[in-house]
Amino acid sequence: MGNRPSKIVIIDDNSDFLFTMETFLTRNGFNVETASDGTTGFKLIKKSRPDLVMLDVMMEATYSGFEVCRLVRNDPDLKTTPIIGISGMADEIGVKFDNYEDREYFTPDAFFDKPVDKDALLAKINDLIS
Amino acid sequence: MNYTSNSELIDLTFKSIIDALPCYIMIQDQHFKILFANQAFKNHFGEDIYGKSCHAVLKGSRHQCNVCPVRESFKDKGVHITEETIHLSNIKIVEMIAFSSPLFDAVGNVIACIKLLVDVGTIKDSQREFVKLGQSIALLSHDIKNILEGLKGGAYVVEEGMKDHDTQLANKGWAIVSKNISEITRITQNILYSAKKQKPNFKDTKPWVIARQAAYLFSEKASSMGIQLLQELNPNVPAMKADPSGISRMLGNLIWNALQACEKDKVKTKHVIVVRVDFFDNYHFMFEVEDNAQGMKKEIVEKLFKEYFTSKGDSGNGLGLMVVDRIVSHHHGRVEVLSKKGAGSLFRVIFRRQDSYLEME
Repeated sequence: MGNRPSKIVIIDDNSDFLFTMETFLTRNGFNVETASDGTTGFKLIKKSRPDLVMLDVMMEATYSGFEVCRLVRNDPDLKTTPIIGISGMADEIGVKFDNYEDREYFTPDAFFDKPVDKDALLAKINDLIS
Repeated sequence: MNYTSNSELIDLTFKSIIDALPCYIMIQDQHFKILFANQAFKNHFGEDIYGKSCHAVLKGSRHQCNVCPVRESFKDKGVHITEETIHLSNIKIVEMIAFSSPLFDAVGNVIACIKLLVDVGTIKDSQREFVKLGQSIALLSHDIKNILEGLKGGAYVVEEGMKDHDTQLANKGWAIVSKNISEITRITQNILYSAKKQKPNFKDTKPWVIARQAAYLFSEKASSMGIQLLQELNPNVPAMKADPSGISRMLGNLIWNALQACEKDKVKTKHVIVVRVDFFDNYHFMFEVEDNAQGMKKEIVEKLFKEYFTSKGDSGNGLGLMVVDRIVSHHHGRVEVLSKKGAGSLFRVIFRRQDSYLEME
């Protein structure tokens, strides 16, 4: 990789969250690209080949985070891309990552509940990218 | 009083007890004809019930009920319990639990069944309140989590902007903080409304006037979001007996949801919300809030009012719709949701026209 900053794609339909995370990660030395829905997000992942994907689980328009995750995992070129799932509804949708069993369906490498602890997120991103 | 025998006294005592019981008791034959009913039953369904079938008296139907505990008791000589919805003679509908038990002759044949109906409406209402309470806590938790995310994120952006003397960045961060402050304000108001067991303050209210005021409250916000907020208000819709603050909150929540839906829609460049008041039919009028955002999938629409479903934590749909539902039910109205994915959503609240009751009389 050399000195190239690691590339992160964030997909979330909450524009405020996208902007905040883009600001945070850019200021921490990452190259960030964003998409506000699953379809555009998956196209962006295919085009940009990021080092990591941050994915909102519950998106209304087109693909949800679950579907994007599945598409990434089924794509031979992308399947090893680290994915961090993010949701404010983790408890309600039963996808508390620590207890998550159905790994056939939704397979992120990490899961963060909103509000996101930025230090923990940064540590996890560095861990997954390295 | 003089009684001819002890048995007459006992019969009278039993009759008094059966009549005084706070439930309906009847005895039916194998053709479901009523052979006996206690006074509580007769008070609600009239005296002229003997010989009539149970389904005709209780449900106004010529057909036997699909589920009938009496039929089952005749069949297997056992006790059966079902839940039933009964139409009382004064138009009120009550939820009841029905117990049916067979009565035997000397050789063990079932000659009749005794049916006991207990009003469980209050228990059912409490049950529903508990379900709503559980749902509202779940909804609140993720609404608040998303607001916290917005506040923390916005504050971070403000700090970064200030650190770098980047006013533009700080302003962007402040806009996020400010937006989340209005969201928490709205949620707090809805929590207060949900928590209060207040009786609505009904007064003569012109629908178009409330709708105009509600739309006015959001005109500035809509304009700042680049969304056109239009009003199509028919002033000929007659006044209704309503709690103006409740109706205003109901419309406010629907407009708020429409604004959120438009804000989230990144496909269309021009968004319009229409607040409408008009006649629905000869006996009803309606409030409508229509947006041209991305609409909802059919399965989301189906869940909306059943579970106070929110398809997205930060949309604020859940608690807002719960309050809408409560206000509409206080006013004996109903809500319809028409939504087409990609085209937009229309929330229609229909109320009976006050003058239509006079017409019917």
